[in-house]
Amino acid sequence: MLHEPETDADVSEQQLANEPYVEPLLELKEVSRVYGSGDAKVYALRDVSLRIMPGDFVSIVGPSGSGKSTMLGLLGCLDIPTSGTIIVGGKTVTGLDDADRTEVRGRTIGFVFQQFHLIPHLDATGNVETALLYRGLSKAERRRRAIESLDKVGLGHRHEHRPVQMSGGEQQRVALARALVTEPKILLADEPTGALDSQNAENVMELLTNLQSSERAVVLVTHAAEVADAAFRKVSMRDGRIVSDMTRVR
Amino acid sequence: MKTFKDLLMVSLTGLFARKVRTLLLLLGPMIGVAAIIAAVGLTDSAKGDLKAKVNKLGTNLIEVSASSAFGGQDPTLPEDVLDRALSVTTVKSVAKVHELANIVVTPYNEARDKYEAVPIPVLASDMLLPSVLEVDLISGRWLNEFDEQATSRSAVIGIGLARQFNYLPGETRTIELGNIRYGVVGVLSEVELEPAFDNAVFVTFSAAKADFVDADKILANKIYVRSQVGAEKDTSEALKISINLGGPDEVTTDIKSEALQLAAQSDQQIKLIVVSMGILASIVGGVGIANVMSISVIQRSAEIGIRRALGHTRSIIASQFLLESLFIGLLGGICGVLLGIASIFLGATIAGWVFVLAPWLPPAGILLAMVISVIAGLYPSVRAAKLEPLETLRLG
Repeated sequence: MLHEPETDADVSEQQLANEPYVEPLLELKEVSRVYGSGDAKVYALRDVSLRIMPGDFVSIVGPSGSGKSTMLGLLGCLDIPTSGTIIVGGKTVTGLDDADRTEVRGRTIGFVFQQFHLIPHLDATGNVETALLYRGLSKAERRRRAIESLDKVGLGHRHEHRPVQMSGGEQQRVALARALVTEPKILLADEPTGALDSQNAENVMELLTNLQSSERAVVLVTHAAEVADAAFRKVSMRDGRIVSDMTRVR
Repeated sequence: MKTFKDLLMVSLTGLFARKVRTLLLLLGPMIGVAAIIAAVGLTDSAKGDLKAKVNKLGTNLIEVSASSAFGGQDPTLPEDVLDRALSVTTVKSVAKVHELANIVVTPYNEARDKYEAVPIPVLASDMLLPSVLEVDLISGRWLNEFDEQATSRSAVIGIGLARQFNYLPGETRTIELGNIRYGVVGVLSEVELEPAFDNAVFVTFSAAKADFVDADKILANKIYVRSQVGAEKDTSEALKISINLGGPDEVTTDIKSEALQLAAQSDQQIKLIVVSMGILASIVGGVGIANVMSISVIQRSAEIGIRRALGHTRSIIASQFLLESLFIGLLGGICGVLLGIASIFLGATIAGWVFVLAPWLPPAGILLAMVISVIAGLYPSVRAAKLEPLETLRLG
């Protein structure tokens, strides 16, 4: 089923057709997301198909209102499409109830947000541990993994600092550690450098680039050209559609 | 179980992270519970000394007297009255007496002029009377088997009489009962349920018959019964029937502690009013909790959103907030109970009352605070669970 009907995304379809079959980590099939009804109906996404493959480092770019945030919500199983199918790790999530969708999300997807969204009353370790709650892990095991994850993003010395005691760059790295601690197959980053100065932005981008591996995909949603350019694959959106999907040679 | 442990930790961390807010939330249930505890405790304590007395004396002493239906002289109980009384299954113990009439009692013969005017009851009594009354002797001993068998002129006097006659404890003295000298073998201590006994003289049935009764036999005209606790009323009714069965004289019964019990009862109306106010305060506290928690849900929407994104289900989020309410109720309840107990203690000390705290009050207070808090937390919890992560995370 590699040859889908003609879609906006068929550039990547053709490229993929030349490679041996690999199951996509995440797949959108003719997905539409409509807000409102009747005359007030707004298509945030219109018949979008997209595949995120293991090892992908994708940026989703477009002007505001192009549908990239809606796309991120759907890719992250935070939202359900009005029509179409979303498959995560071979499992169709569009028919699942909220609890099952939450389970899939917690197991396969890690999030990084522009505003970091750290929990203010918890220290760095506590914030990272939050991602490991309700998984049957002991407190000690959670802590061990959280510290390990913080070490990976270079925050070994700030385990016990609260968000207010950290710079924006550090906070975003805590958020990264939190996203990574569950070892997700897909890392979704929403304007990860949007709230950072250029030096910190560079550091975070470097970390993100290094995080991509042959099993994991990193998906960035951004409107910043230099951030988008760091990715190997660039999906451009406009008016709720994918207008181009290009992969550059590594 | 691990999930619950995690939830517990998250909820407690959330509460302790916002100490001032948590403290303010605690105030509602705390004041409510404290008011209830203090209200019940203080109204109880106001009658605490009487309550303590009732508890000490027991509520189960029943007096059964013979009375004549037709105004006849000296009504008596049947000869086998003890067996008849014991045939009532709720009767635990029984003792019989016979009140003798018109006997002048003086400490010694020469004191006749001084004491004749004052009638002092003389009772023929069996050996079980002190144990049924549950009183001890101040000194000496009670009438025993030997006294009864030998018709010995032994007497036990009440504590009031001993004081009046200036008898010292342990002193060997005699007492004149209608010109007949009896040896005082013991002094009975205070009989609070039958104050007349404090000024009475007790002799054996055999001695009474020999010295004071012109009849073939002397029958009891009164018995004292200890029934099972809680069965006083039924026992009292049953005794009337079982003792009187077919006899000519009537039988009347009297539960001795009834008046005392009535006096010891707390003022129910005041209690009801203050408890209602306490419950009202708790409910207002609950409304406060619902209010602050609802605001808190809005304030913490980003936290809720990120938790949802990290894989925490709606039910987990709802449970987290509900547990926070539960803890507020628990803590508020405990603080309220402590505050209430302190108020009772302070009030009772100032007023000179006996501190009384019903054992069911503290758990009931804590439970009430918890129930109200959980009900108050329901709406905010459901609201938190319904938040859509997409709406709270403000994607770029």
